[in-house]
Amino acid sequence: MKLVVNGKPVEVAVPEDTPLLWVLREELDLPGTKFGCGRALCGACTVHVDGAPKRSCVTPVGDVADKQVVTIEGLAPDPATLHPVQQAWIEENAPQCGYCQAGQIMTAVALLRAKPEPTDADIDAAMSANLCRCGTYPRIRRAVHSAARAIKAGGGDRG
Amino acid sequence: MVEPHPSRRGFLGGVAAGGALLSLAVTFGCGGARERMVKHAESTGELAPNMYITVLPDGRVRLTVNKAEMGQGVGTGYATLVAEELGVPLERIDVAWADSRPEYRTSFFMHQTGGSTSTKEAYVPLRRAAAAAREMLVGAAAATWKVPAAECTVKDGVVAHAASARSLGFGALTKQAAHQPVPARPRLKKRAEYTVIGKAGRRVDARAKVDGSARYGIDVVVPDMVHAYVIHGPQYGAAPKTFDAEAARKRPGVIDVLAFDFGVAVVAHRYWQALAAARDVTVTWKKGTVAGLDTEAMRRAMRDYKKAGEGAGEHGDVDRAMSRAHRKIEAVYEAPYLAHATMEPQNCTVAVRGKRAEVWAPCQSPTLVQAFVADAIGGSRDDVLVHTTLLGGGFGRRFFPDFATQCARIAKRVKKPVKMIWSRESDMTQAFYRPQLAVMMRGALSPAGALTGFGAHVIGQSISFASRDAIGAVMPGIPNAMKHVITESIAAMLSTNTVPDMFATEGLKNTPYKVPNLRIAFTPVNTELPVASWRSVGNSVNAFAAEGFLDELAHAAGADPIAFRRALLPARSREVRVMDAVADLAKWGRPVAPGIGRGFARHTAFESEVAEIADVELVDGRIVVRRVYCAVDCGVVINPDIVRAQIESAVIFGLSAALDQQITLVDGVVQQSNYDTFPLLRMFEAPEIHVTILDSDADPTGVGEPGLPPIAPAVANAVFALTKVRLRRMPLQPAFDEAKRGAS
Repeated sequence: MKLVVNGKPVEVAVPEDTPLLWVLREELDLPGTKFGCGRALCGACTVHVDGAPKRSCVTPVGDVADKQVVTIEGLAPDPATLHPVQQAWIEENAPQCGYCQAGQIMTAVALLRAKPEPTDADIDAAMSANLCRCGTYPRIRRAVHSAARAIKAGGGDRG
Repeated sequence: MVEPHPSRRGFLGGVAAGGALLSLAVTFGCGGARERMVKHAESTGELAPNMYITVLPDGRVRLTVNKAEMGQGVGTGYATLVAEELGVPLERIDVAWADSRPEYRTSFFMHQTGGSTSTKEAYVPLRRAAAAAREMLVGAAAATWKVPAAECTVKDGVVAHAASARSLGFGALTKQAAHQPVPARPRLKKRAEYTVIGKAGRRVDARAKVDGSARYGIDVVVPDMVHAYVIHGPQYGAAPKTFDAEAARKRPGVIDVLAFDFGVAVVAHRYWQALAAARDVTVTWKKGTVAGLDTEAMRRAMRDYKKAGEGAGEHGDVDRAMSRAHRKIEAVYEAPYLAHATMEPQNCTVAVRGKRAEVWAPCQSPTLVQAFVADAIGGSRDDVLVHTTLLGGGFGRRFFPDFATQCARIAKRVKKPVKMIWSRESDMTQAFYRPQLAVMMRGALSPAGALTGFGAHVIGQSISFASRDAIGAVMPGIPNAMKHVITESIAAMLSTNTVPDMFATEGLKNTPYKVPNLRIAFTPVNTELPVASWRSVGNSVNAFAAEGFLDELAHAAGADPIAFRRALLPARSREVRVMDAVADLAKWGRPVAPGIGRGFARHTAFESEVAEIADVELVDGRIVVRRVYCAVDCGVVINPDIVRAQIESAVIFGLSAALDQQITLVDGVVQQSNYDTFPLLRMFEAPEIHVTILDSDADPTGVGEPGLPPIAPAVANAVFALTKVRLRRMPLQPAFDEAKRGAS
């Protein structure tokens, strides 16, 4: 089956009902996307499919054939430059154990593309889909706001 | 007889642990080790004067940390200590995680992380290790230039001699420095000289945790590795009776389907193949290890228990104080079993080679993993090498290496390296749990409203008893048969309370409140459901009982809750200063907005002092915590932003438990299995959290856990302030719903 992952066409030999999560992790050597619950409850496995956040643990790989899949590894515009959301996460010291943060960041990037200047309510609405056991929510909220400012100042999200 | 104690806190006697670390730090460069250091420097250009610090020829520093990074920021904290005393920028330090070699067992004969002690343990020894390396580098530069070492200065990884305008980077000095004596007592900076410690530096692991490159246990890849998915039974600890895997074996990629007493393992080349094949396996199960266990029946039995319990701490005569009291108040506080629900499900990778094994594990104690894996494969502990990966959360769960045992047994049968990943459902239903507890409180008030008697009787499972296997595991050089005799006799003493349980009454037996008559007691309840340390351990329940009950007593005495406590604490004590700091921060005593209830609680845990004020609102019957104010005294602060982050974390972790979480069992079956039935707080419910840190010259104390105990009672007390409904049972939301139903 043919996929486009992080801008590159790839081919994988897996049944169509295989969860996208495990295809990314095991077939494409992209382990940044994490397994948390297996039932779309926690958001740790969030990736972008044609720009929209999707739970890869319950997304059959057959559903994303010929679509654009982006993972945390493909978010930065180039190896030397982080995405403004990633940079804001570092500046706010947001990650603790860090396990959920790839999913958090993918959700936040999608939010900021849809709403470049989100209110606290917008952030709560979008980010409440992602669980964090370490309780980094106050920092994530601040980081989303500061990323929004950085993206605006920098002339937009280049991702 | 009770030492070594099985669980985390038992290993944390600060002096012993620190002493071990220190001696290793200064002796590593002596004798044969000294020759090795010189040889190592000659062949690699690396200066490795002790097991923590390696100065590389490019001037970077590799810091080997013998702690587990589970989010608490230990890597950043330790790097900060080293940056300060070695004289290098934090950015030039690369943190590596120590493996299970014996020299890293610096915490009561173990390499282990728990009890909020990592910073306390390393504060002096690690700075000494760094200062020793710095003095050796300075000595090498001074010898090269033939000037007195005292005339040389160190800054940003460069040794300079101002008078002759010469300087050399650390990287250029490593070989010569290896010939310098390792100073036994290098000079440490005084607090006023700190330039790195106390600054809000960024986490050293932040970059890897935002770009997807951080590697956890679940990400481990080793050559020839295969994957295992484990089907566990519906009842806790059930063993398979029969299984049919004919269809599953025909699935692509499946290597084998194997039955063990803990479940059925489906082994395949890929994990997704094992997952898919597992659907085709049918299993019938024997009775589980806690068949019949019903947590609601257990709760009623604990509530109805009338005996006094064994004393864990006592002075005066509480019975007499109660009989003579102007007012006496009695109440039962209750808390359920809880899962840790780390975001990374339990997993492990094991390669067995004969009687030897190599393990990659997200674990809190590589030493315990060594011992358990050795038992599982019939080898000896030091033939097991354990690599600690990053942990996707720990909270006490990953101290218990049941997952490593299971993986090792699978790997032994498969004869290939195996990575085993549990489903979320297995992680939650086959776990170790925070014990379900009842705490019987009683208090006596004088006519003037003074507290003359205070009693607390904890009833529930003993974590020490449940950890008995770990006791044997860390006894070096004792044959297995002997270990079992020893552990069983310790267990017998704990189960009968002949030996007092150290966790069951923590936070009560060491209460700072001065009451003339006091009795703290414990009655163990024995079941085979494994219980474990869970962030702040006994404090997580005992603070809820004590601080909720003190609020009741304050109201009964007609006193302000903070003023009531102040009367019970020594004037100008640390407890009072922290209480006053949070009162100032929240402007306690001023009117709050309509519809807001405000509650206070404080607690001492892991030698740190935390006081919290919660502002609570009711929205369609839901308890919503709007703001939490926190004051903390944890001694000298290494990185204030990480202290704040840990307090925020403990508050939110504690709120999830306080409001909603419970593990219940019906006939030995855990009723919660994923985040839908065991909810975590989500962002829209996360309160604003304001933290103030008190300035202190005292050595550092715990930070990862002490923020948790006050939050549940602060919220319960706020609900009372708002509604006059007194909540004495966690989780609070269902208890509140029940109280409202009862009232209507």
